[in-house]
Amino acid sequence: MDRPKRYDNIDGTGEMFMGLMLLGFTLAGYLEARLAANSSRWTHGIVVYGVMIPVFGFGFWARRVIKNHFTWPRTGYAAYPRVGDKSWWIGIVAVLVISAVLGAGFACLRLFARQHDAINLPRIGMLVALAVAYPLWVLRMGRGNPWKWLLVIFMELGLVAITFIVPGDVDALFRPVALFVGLVWLASGGATLSSYMRHTQPPAPEVE
Amino acid sequence: MNEQLRAISELDRVIHEPGRLMIIALLGVVKECDFLYLLHETEMNKGNLSSHLTRLEEAGYVEIEKTYRGKVPQTLLRLTRAGHAAFDRYRKGLKAVF
Repeated sequence: MDRPKRYDNIDGTGEMFMGLMLLGFTLAGYLEARLAANSSRWTHGIVVYGVMIPVFGFGFWARRVIKNHFTWPRTGYAAYPRVGDKSWWIGIVAVLVISAVLGAGFACLRLFARQHDAINLPRIGMLVALAVAYPLWVLRMGRGNPWKWLLVIFMELGLVAITFIVPGDVDALFRPVALFVGLVWLASGGATLSSYMRHTQPPAPEVE
Repeated sequence: MNEQLRAISELDRVIHEPGRLMIIALLGVVKECDFLYLLHETEMNKGNLSSHLTRLEEAGYVEIEKTYRGKVPQTLLRLTRAGHAAFDRYRKGLKAVF
């Protein structure tokens, strides 16, 4: 049954969280770009984690606040089951494996791109990944909001425009693209929350 | 009696009622939820929902916990192990019929 799973994003908090994460990556990317050229990997790591951990914490807290003050009093509270006791470990291992596969694939693409100057495959790969993520989300979670398909079109056109405007390699393209996609996710979540607030009201208190 | 007809006659009547089936199906995919959530999702009135929940609680399929969220009373609901098993049996029974 899909409906209870979609309920988790009835207030747009899922999208806002994703948008916030992308904005965090953008900020980390800009800060990293300002580091001295000979900075160590540790410095880069500290900058990325120094930005992402607070952003993640803030996103988690804000999501909880919205649920607690707006969603649960209006349309009720639902908690979702863990797959099993080993689900954390399975999740961590899955993330590590997927990251390794993506990293290896990305490295291969870079190598291929160095040898073939005509097309920049890392750029294309990153753009395709970001261009596909939001439509998939809308297809899966946003069935009740057909207006999100307009946002999908806007995002795709925006990505095409940025690709033509911003020169350089994948690192140079990542920051404006992540900023744009993050803002679209955030706006989509904000509009969902606004629509949810307009169309739902907390139930009237019982007369004792 | 035909096997398929027998399967129909053996369906769990507590779950088979559409209102209660909605409740069980919703509770089957969440860890727990509150009364307001079920009210919103099933679009039943409070009286109907309450009587169905009482029936499911009597059958041992649903656990009802009265608690507070801050200062607001909250009724938490979750499917018991027997409820999950009964729902599984019901689904298998329906599959056998169709």
